Amino acid sequence: MGYSGYDIEDAIVMNKSSLDRGFGRCIAMKKHTITKENYGDGLSDRIAKPQRDTNGVLVMQNMQALDEDGIAAPGQIIRNHDVYVNKQIPTNTDRRVADTNDKLSIIKCIIRHTRRPEVGDKFSSRHGQKGVCGTIVQQEDFPFSERGICPDLIMNPHGFLSRMTIGKMIELIGGKAGLSCDRFHYGSAFGEPSGNADKVEDISNTLIKHGFSYNGKDFLYLGILGHPLEAYIFMGPIYYQKLKHMVLDKMHARASGPRVLLTRQPTQGRSRDGGLRLGEMERDCLIASGASMLIFERLMLSSDPYQVQVCRKCGLLGYYNHKLKAAYCSMCKNGENMAKMRLPYACKLLFQELQSMNVVPRLKIG
Amino acid sequence: MDPQQPEPVSYLCGDCGAENTLKPGDVIQCRECGYRILYKKRTRRIVQYEAR
Repeated sequence: MGYSGYDIEDAIVMNKSSLDRGFGRCIAMKKHTITKENYGDGLSDRIAKPQRDTNGVLVMQNMQALDEDGIAAPGQIIRNHDVYVNKQIPTNTDRRVADTNDKLSIIKCIIRHTRRPEVGDKFSSRHGQKGVCGTIVQQEDFPFSERGICPDLIMNPHGFLSRMTIGKMIELIGGKAGLSCDRFHYGSAFGEPSGNADKVEDISNTLIKHGFSYNGKDFLYLGILGHPLEAYIFMGPIYYQKLKHMVLDKMHARASGPRVLLTRQPTQGRSRDGGLRLGEMERDCLIASGASMLIFERLMLSSDPYQVQVCRKCGLLGYYNHKLKAAYCSMCKNGENMAKMRLPYACKLLFQELQSMNVVPRLKIG
Repeated sequence: MDPQQPEPVSYLCGDCGAENTLKPGDVIQCRECGYRILYKKRTRRIVQYEAR
């Protein structure tokens, strides 16, 4: 069924109580490598033991996981902001040239993390019906049946129409019958008489025998208001699994940050603290809305603004002579018709690259 | 406890399994076989999870 609108585009609504009971929980292992570097002149990183006062009480509370060698022992619980390798780096790192590899020691730590599903984690059934968790709802607000059955998860039925995953529906209906009649079902799509696949018709008869509707739909009450839902809901057991794409590993945001040397535009990707691309389709939306100043801001000011000197006569890019404090066109050999303007650095770069290939782009300034 | 005196911590060799006690500044190497990968021993503190 559709529920709350947080399940559009393959998203999934999850039951908070089910998550409390352990649904979709997983263990993630992450390896961290810490290098202890030498900088020469006897200068090196050091792994220091935790600092204590005269009574042997820790000076910094976040070092409680550490042993006397400055490294946390295996099995130790690490909490938020805890230090697990107390590495100290010399302050004057300008002597970074260093004879590396010489007595370089490495500390490798594997950190185990038990994760509870959260909004944005990815889940899938065995039919390729994957989707992210759109919202987590209290069980009190979840729909329930007359038998008191409340689902763990709600999936939007629009996912079936174009994908035609009949197997999932047979899994649901077969699973529901299987629970009632205490028998495994075989969900092959080929129900030929010679095979031993369970036909939907037979499954439906089993369902009727156990007091369900033949089509696998149930009568549900709306959890929020308590009144019956206007439609019968296709409900039953489906095997769901968590996929390894989790928001915790992927979340990323950036205001200002590093730029690419060549284009002076923001870098790409989370690992480089990159920007979020305003793509072609987003640009189309802005054009359609007529939000020209917003386009200007996104494509210029927030990206790679650059000031150039343009010759009004020949339309080529000139330069600014800082000694004479005047703009100059190297094509016309004078500085008479110069105009200042701003354009993206990538645009200027394109002009120069075209020029290097004997194509002359000219700017016409009205 | 005297803060000046370094506390030795024992490690297990990754190759022969021998126990090594190292002080800060020691070369990280097994005394028995010369292997350079050492593992820390499991924590002796009480580990208690709250399964919630």
